[in-house]
Amino acid sequence: MSYQEKKTLANMLTGVVLLVIYCFYAWNKFSAQAAPIDDLAYWARLILIFLIIEVCAFIVIQILFHILFSIGIAVREKIHNPDRDEKNLDKIINLEMVEDERDKLIEMKSMRWGYIVVGLSFGASLITLAAGVPTLVMLNIMFIAFSFSSILDGSVQLYYLRRGL
Amino acid sequence: MPKKKSLFRITNKIRTLRFFAEEMTQQKLAEIVGVSRQTIIAIEADKYSPSLDLAFRIAQAFDVSIGEVFEYKLKVDG
Repeated sequence: MSYQEKKTLANMLTGVVLLVIYCFYAWNKFSAQAAPIDDLAYWARLILIFLIIEVCAFIVIQILFHILFSIGIAVREKIHNPDRDEKNLDKIINLEMVEDERDKLIEMKSMRWGYIVVGLSFGASLITLAAGVPTLVMLNIMFIAFSFSSILDGSVQLYYLRRGL
Repeated sequence: MPKKKSLFRITNKIRTLRFFAEEMTQQKLAEIVGVSRQTIIAIEADKYSPSLDLAFRIAQAFDVSIGEVFEYKLKVDG
């Protein structure tokens, strides 16, 4: 599995875990009636907090992933070529993490799918508002769609990385 | 409007050129042209058409003209 595939998988897993945690937490709050349905300020605060957690988690996971990936390459190289010096090792690590034009093209193509999901969710949230469903549902549709779009983005990216453009 | 499918495809002779360059590895070629090994694998398998810039860099790596590396061929189906 290449560096890009591993990075995409790490991002996707983070996204899935955070989405599940949010859904679980929000559903518990909703079913326990911890906050009134029409208290939009409360739900907006909750989503904002989760957004901040999500951004921080993505940064931490990326840092951890790069550290572990570098250690993995260093260990592999030390086993196969014990006499390799530090400078060469750095070069190998940098070469493994190279991001080229194909990766950027794949990223752009997969982002298109993410935008489609966000666009559709905006339409769906407007429909729910027009149908008289509480605004809370609209807020949640938007937030979940944003999280889902990043997961779909990753899945499409993996597909293109595996199957080719 | 539906995208018109091209009757032509870009093929390449990278594998052959690597062989004549003292069996140059895909990793080595990737290092020279500044892309990942996965990209070289995809180009070799005709799964990705490189940009003109990358195509020139690959040709330069083998010290040949771009026409000697890439060809624009009529698709033969079936």
